Amino acid sequence: MAEGDPVRVSVCHCLACQKRTGSALSAQARWEAECVKVEGNSSQWVRTADSGQQTTYNFCPVCGSTVYYGGGNFPELVAIPLGALDDPYFECIDYSVWERRKHRWIEILGESIEHRD
Amino acid sequence: MTSRTASCRCGQLKANVTGEPVRMSVCHCLNCQKRSGSAFAAQARWPADQVVIEGRSSSFELISDSGNRARFYFCPECGSDVLYDNNDGADGQIAIPLGAFDDPYFFEPQFSVWEQRKHGWLEIESEAVEHFD
Repeated sequence: MAEGDPVRVSVCHCLACQKRTGSALSAQARWEAECVKVEGNSSQWVRTADSGQQTTYNFCPVCGSTVYYGGGNFPELVAIPLGALDDPYFECIDYSVWERRKHRWIEILGESIEHRD
Repeated sequence: MTSRTASCRCGQLKANVTGEPVRMSVCHCLNCQKRSGSAFAAQARWPADQVVIEGRSSSFELISDSGNRARFYFCPECGSDVLYDNNDGADGQIAIPLGAFDDPYFFEPQFSVWEQRKHGWLEIESEAVEHFD
């Protein structure tokens, strides 16, 4: 459960995010750690990036869904995959990153979005 | 014949497919958002006899409002979904989430379904695609 507005909502087109979601991109919202409360059992999987940074993904052992993750570029924040939220609809997103890996049949729309290669 | 490999993030669960997919689609429904954690799901389907599976999996069955059943096979180590079937494979097909492929860029969606649930900041644009609400 996350309280208040997220500090960052983003999509990522990198191959690791595609593998994690099984989709063509990932979408996630991040909150300060103290705004997030976790309930239930989880299994962990740690990914070490080429940069050496580690991210820990917490997924449900019964259905495989990743419900939150942390570490990596934003150690003080907890990321929640958008689709895991009961209401995943945010007006706009802040960042679209790793666009060099974007599938050409996807358009990310919104004037305030920062696009990064 | 073309051959492609899909795998989980840790690599122990794999699906090898041969030949071209019979259907490539994206779905914006809330179940697909939950399963993927993303804003939509993308998947390609093959006849079951063109899919070879290697490694250990756990499975989870989801029954939709329509009564259709989908069984998702995921890696117990890293949680990635690598394949699923519908109604115990009654249609003879296996679906593989696009992102599981080591090279996912062969994909061109033919169908974009449940667009009534599509996020406003997202468009699926391809000449070949049919859009369904």
